[in-house]
Amino acid sequence: MDRTVASVDEDGNFGHAVTAGARHDPEIDQPTAEGTWVVVAVYNEAPVVADVLRELLQAFPNVVAVDDGSVDDSWNRLREVAPHAIRHLVNRGQGAALQTGTEFALKKGADRIAHFDADGQHRVADLVHMASAVARGECDVALGDRFLGGSPIPPHRAALIRAAALMHRFSSGIALSDVHNGLRVLSRAAAGRCEITADRMAHASQIIDLVARSGLRVRQYPTSIRYTEYSMRKGQHASASARILFHYAISRIFG
Amino acid sequence: MTTFQIALLTLAALGAVTSVALLSRQLVGRITGAAVLVLSVVGAIFTVFPNSTTAIAHALGIGRGADLLLYLLVIGTSSGFLVMYVKLRAVRRELTLLVREIAVAKATGTDPDDGARKSQ
Repeated sequence: MDRTVASVDEDGNFGHAVTAGARHDPEIDQPTAEGTWVVVAVYNEAPVVADVLRELLQAFPNVVAVDDGSVDDSWNRLREVAPHAIRHLVNRGQGAALQTGTEFALKKGADRIAHFDADGQHRVADLVHMASAVARGECDVALGDRFLGGSPIPPHRAALIRAAALMHRFSSGIALSDVHNGLRVLSRAAAGRCEITADRMAHASQIIDLVARSGLRVRQYPTSIRYTEYSMRKGQHASASARILFHYAISRIFG
Repeated sequence: MTTFQIALLTLAALGAVTSVALLSRQLVGRITGAAVLVLSVVGAIFTVFPNSTTAIAHALGIGRGADLLLYLLVIGTSSGFLVMYVKLRAVRRELTLLVREIAVAKATGTDPDDGARKSQ
C-alpha cells in the first residue's frame, strides 16, 4: 500500500513567491518519491541553491545536483545539502549538466528523471503532480506549462515562448504551448531515449525534437513560475533567444 | 621579377615543402596535405605568370583575374571556417564526455554511496 511520505506547501517555502491557481496540496507516495530522481543543474547559484535543494528534499529523497563549473560558492553550498553532488570541472552548459545528472541517476536505478531549475523559479508542488502523473502511466514525458499554470508572465517573456512554440510546431510538428519550461519529468525509458547533446540552452528545443521523433507520449501540466527579482535577473533575456536559435539550428544541421 | 613576387614564391615553396614533409610523416591528413600542396603550386604559377589568372577568368566568363582570385578566396575561407567549426563542435562534444566521465566518477554528497562523506 502506498504511504504518504511528504506533503508540499501550496505556496512553496522559498523566495518571493508570485503564485496563482488554487490547487490542493499535493501528496506523494513513497515509491513515486523514491523512484523519481531530481536533477538540478547549477551554475553560479550560491545565494539560493541550498534553499532550493532543501525544499526539494522535503518531497524527493533522491536529488542530484550538478555544479556546472560555477565560479562562485555554489559547489560548497550544494554538496552540504545534496545527497548526490556532481561537479563539472569546466562549464559545459545547462544541457550537458542535465545529461550528466540524468546518466548518473539512470545508473543508480532511477524509475523517473525530473529536471528542476536551481534558481528557485519552480515549485515542488508542481513537480509532485508531474512525477505522480508519469508514475501512474499517464504519459512518458511530462512537461511544465506556465500558461496553464495561470501565474502572471512578463509580456516580453510570453511573446518569446509563444514564438519558440510556433517554431517547434513547424519544425517538429509538435503542438506545445510552453517549449522552454525547465520543469519536466521523463520515464526511465524516455530518459534513455532522449540523450541531450546540445550542451547549452538549446537543449530544451532538442528534447522537444527527440520526444516528437521518438513517438513518446507527452503531456503538459500546469506550473507556476516564481518570477522573483533573482530569477528574472538570472533567466534568459531576449538577447539570448537569438543565440539559442542559432545553436538549435546548428544542432539540427550537424546533429 | 619583383621583390613581392620573390616573397610570394618563397612562401609558396615553404608551403609545398612543409606539406610534403608532413604528408610523408603522416602528420597531416592526405586531403589537407594535398590541398596545401596544390594551393602552393597554383599560387607559385599565378605569381610567376600573373596574366594567367586573367586568361582563366575570361574563360570562365569573369571580367578580371583579380575577381577570380577574390571569389576563390571567399569560397576557400568560408569552407575553411565551416570545416574548423565542425571540428570544433566535435572537440567540444569530446570535452563534454570527458568532463562528464570525471564528474560522475568523483560524485560526492551526503549519500555515503557516492564516495567519501564530507565533513559537516
